[in-house]
Amino acid sequence: MSDSPSATASPSPSTARRRFQLPDEIGVIGALLAMVIVIGIARPEFLNPLNLLRLFGNTAFYGMIALAMVFLLAIREIDLSVGWMFNFSAVITATLMVNGIDPWLAAGGGVVFGALLGLFNGTLAVGLNLPNIIVTLGTFSMFRGLALVVNQSRAVVPPDEVMTSSFFTFATTRLFGAIPMVAVVFLIMAIALHLVLHRTRYGYRVQAIGSNPEAARLAGIPVPWVRLQTIILIGAVCGLSGALFVGFRGAIDPTSGQDFALTVIAAAIIGGTPLSGGWGTVIGAVIGVLIIAVISSGIIFFGIDQTWSTFVTGAVTVLAVVLDQVIKRQRSKRLQQ
Amino acid sequence: MFFRTTHYAPRTRQSDTQMTTSLVSVQSLVKHYGGVVALDGMSLDVERGTIHAVAGENGAGKSTLMKILAGVVRQDSGTIHFDGQKVTFDSPNAARQHGIGIVYQELSLFPERSVLANLFVNREPTRYGFVSRQLMREKSAPILEQLGLHVDVDAPVSLLTIGERQLVELCRVLLEAPRLLILDEPNSALNERETARLFAVLRGLRERGITMLYVSHRLEEVFSIADQVTVCRNGREVFTRGISETSIREVIEGMIGGRQESLFPPPLPQAAGHPEKRLVVRGLSSAALQDISFEARTGEIVGLAGLEGSGVSDLLGILFGMSRAKQGEFIYPDGGGIPHNPTQAARRGVCLVPADRRRNGLMLEKSLVDNIAQVAVGALRTRQVWLRRDQLLASAERQIHNLHIKTRSPYHLANQLSGGNQQKVVIGKWLEVAPDVVLLDDPTRGVDVGAKREIYLLIRQLSAEGRVVLFSSTELPELIGLCDRILVLYRGRLAGELAREAITEHNLLHMINTGEMT
Repeated sequence: MSDSPSATASPSPSTARRRFQLPDEIGVIGALLAMVIVIGIARPEFLNPLNLLRLFGNTAFYGMIALAMVFLLAIREIDLSVGWMFNFSAVITATLMVNGIDPWLAAGGGVVFGALLGLFNGTLAVGLNLPNIIVTLGTFSMFRGLALVVNQSRAVVPPDEVMTSSFFTFATTRLFGAIPMVAVVFLIMAIALHLVLHRTRYGYRVQAIGSNPEAARLAGIPVPWVRLQTIILIGAVCGLSGALFVGFRGAIDPTSGQDFALTVIAAAIIGGTPLSGGWGTVIGAVIGVLIIAVISSGIIFFGIDQTWSTFVTGAVTVLAVVLDQVIKRQRSKRLQQ
Repeated sequence: MFFRTTHYAPRTRQSDTQMTTSLVSVQSLVKHYGGVVALDGMSLDVERGTIHAVAGENGAGKSTLMKILAGVVRQDSGTIHFDGQKVTFDSPNAARQHGIGIVYQELSLFPERSVLANLFVNREPTRYGFVSRQLMREKSAPILEQLGLHVDVDAPVSLLTIGERQLVELCRVLLEAPRLLILDEPNSALNERETARLFAVLRGLRERGITMLYVSHRLEEVFSIADQVTVCRNGREVFTRGISETSIREVIEGMIGGRQESLFPPPLPQAAGHPEKRLVVRGLSSAALQDISFEARTGEIVGLAGLEGSGVSDLLGILFGMSRAKQGEFIYPDGGGIPHNPTQAARRGVCLVPADRRRNGLMLEKSLVDNIAQVAVGALRTRQVWLRRDQLLASAERQIHNLHIKTRSPYHLANQLSGGNQQKVVIGKWLEVAPDVVLLDDPTRGVDVGAKREIYLLIRQLSAEGRVVLFSSTELPELIGLCDRILVLYRGRLAGELAREAITEHNLLHMINTGEMT
């Protein structure tokens, strides 16, 4: 309110420097550590590094998709078809292998196929100017149905002779005998996508569109193109995840991935990405994925009926949304002018 | 009849017996938001049955004062007496029950719902237990008539012009039959004709004994409508005078304190070394426009004037590539034709500063750094994939410095700035890419006097730096004070052009309202 010309007239580096802030993810990281410690105190065998690493490896498949979902939430979109893009791509990958295609090539085919499914969603969403959540509500069942046609409602299992390929060795190997390769891929992707979201022009555009789509359009940002790119991105990530899954498990069931969409969205939200768009945290999504995994694993360790884990995951999601809202309200109270 | 007068008669009589003449009396109101002082001992006395204007720059505390009176926020200390009683409003409902109605500057309507539904939100009249549209119609018809708002009440609000929406908002508050009506920049979106109508309505309300608090940036209008004016600065009352005892000049001086410069800066010398550029439009027709032809050159500021719906905004939108022209020939400074979309426009050095900055110009939850980078990073085509944080910061600091944006840090959120500074951010993001053609759609709407002056100076600079400048405004004095030529649009046609000596308030008013030259 008071005139303070000195603060603005000469932009000295000291006034301009961003005050040191704790990372936004510190809250969820604390929550994750607290959960691990609580379970660990009650059941010390949970803390066995091999157990924790296996836990991490198992989350990699939907974890990668959660990373990409952060981009969609940040641009104010949601993709409900991720589970079936994952499954369909995996089915295509496995089918290619069954037909004698080199597994590495087949995996590449799976990624490309996933991107094409994303392109299909994206073309509809951008071309008809529809929210992607509406489009994927429909393509969810289309992809599922087509996958069921291709796999004839049975698991697709690549034959034994291709199982010897280095692709399968790669997908199932453990670095230093302990760290699952899929977990490594997941981590590398997390770092890469974090950089893409926060350090590239593309990431800036995604956040700008999510912040205010109309202002983005009027600033000359090519909104349709960026939306399309983002919807293709999540398709490609689903394809990659599906291809790795075939390598890791050596088969793809007709039901694998069916409950991915909600888990993945929950993970992104637990991690701190707001549903309102404009911002997202890839690192938070990694933590969100781990929190969900620790809950379901902890439930097993405590000997509670496994069916409770779905409930608890839902409850944690609600808790995360509530906390996020409380924090936001306090922040806006402070900023109110 | 305008009001349920039966409700009023007893109240008026009762008030006659009161000793005080003030309906509202505010003493030493203090309000802090965090470390920021919004009100610093504000006082205000509003006499019954008067229109009392409150003038002050953005950040002077007007809006906070109105919000406290409307029960939206609570004061830290200080007292409010309403009708002789000490009151504290802890919710908007409490204020409403005392008979305080407020029309906000920013619309709070439901765009997808009908006018009727918006008028009776949460107070839907019922017949036999069902919501009765018939009753709604009957109750609202006289007030709509009085406001001169002839619209299809079953149509969704989104189909109305901004001016009409503002009147719907006013109608909604009037339906509550308030004793104190607070108007926070009620006409910031209205054109002159609608404003005149609004003022006639307000005068009618005053005759019925309704007291009004009126906040506006347009001082000419304050002087034409108000009985009293309170000038505030930095959260305090500077003075309160009867309107006949003061002058616009005195009010402005009170608002801005020591500064005394003329509102409109004189033309600046044309910077050397810029080749002349021109924007040529011939025979432009679209859904809203018919056969528009004109030329704009560097070195002049070309004004666009017209009532709401005359096509001014449509014209600017088409020139920026937001919507398509059906026909027409265009030559832009780069030699090309009309841009097909805003992205192309931005890449070709055409910029538009939109009318509604909060909705169309800013990322409110993002920092100044991010906002100022929006065009350079978001729209331009470069080979650079990675963001350079140091470059973004340097851009932001450059614009903060050049445009005198008042902020403590470039990492503050756009939301935290006052209206004038927000508008400078919108302009700054375009200056980063040095546009050749600058389209300004009512850039000073809802901006305080001090910031307005800075924006005027900026427009002069843009022109002097060798850019083609097209400037539209709903405030005629601005057009008169700044423009070398004014194109007047009337019902989608180019009614004519006023140049230097012919630019007078009288001529302009006549043309925009009739479409004819005087």
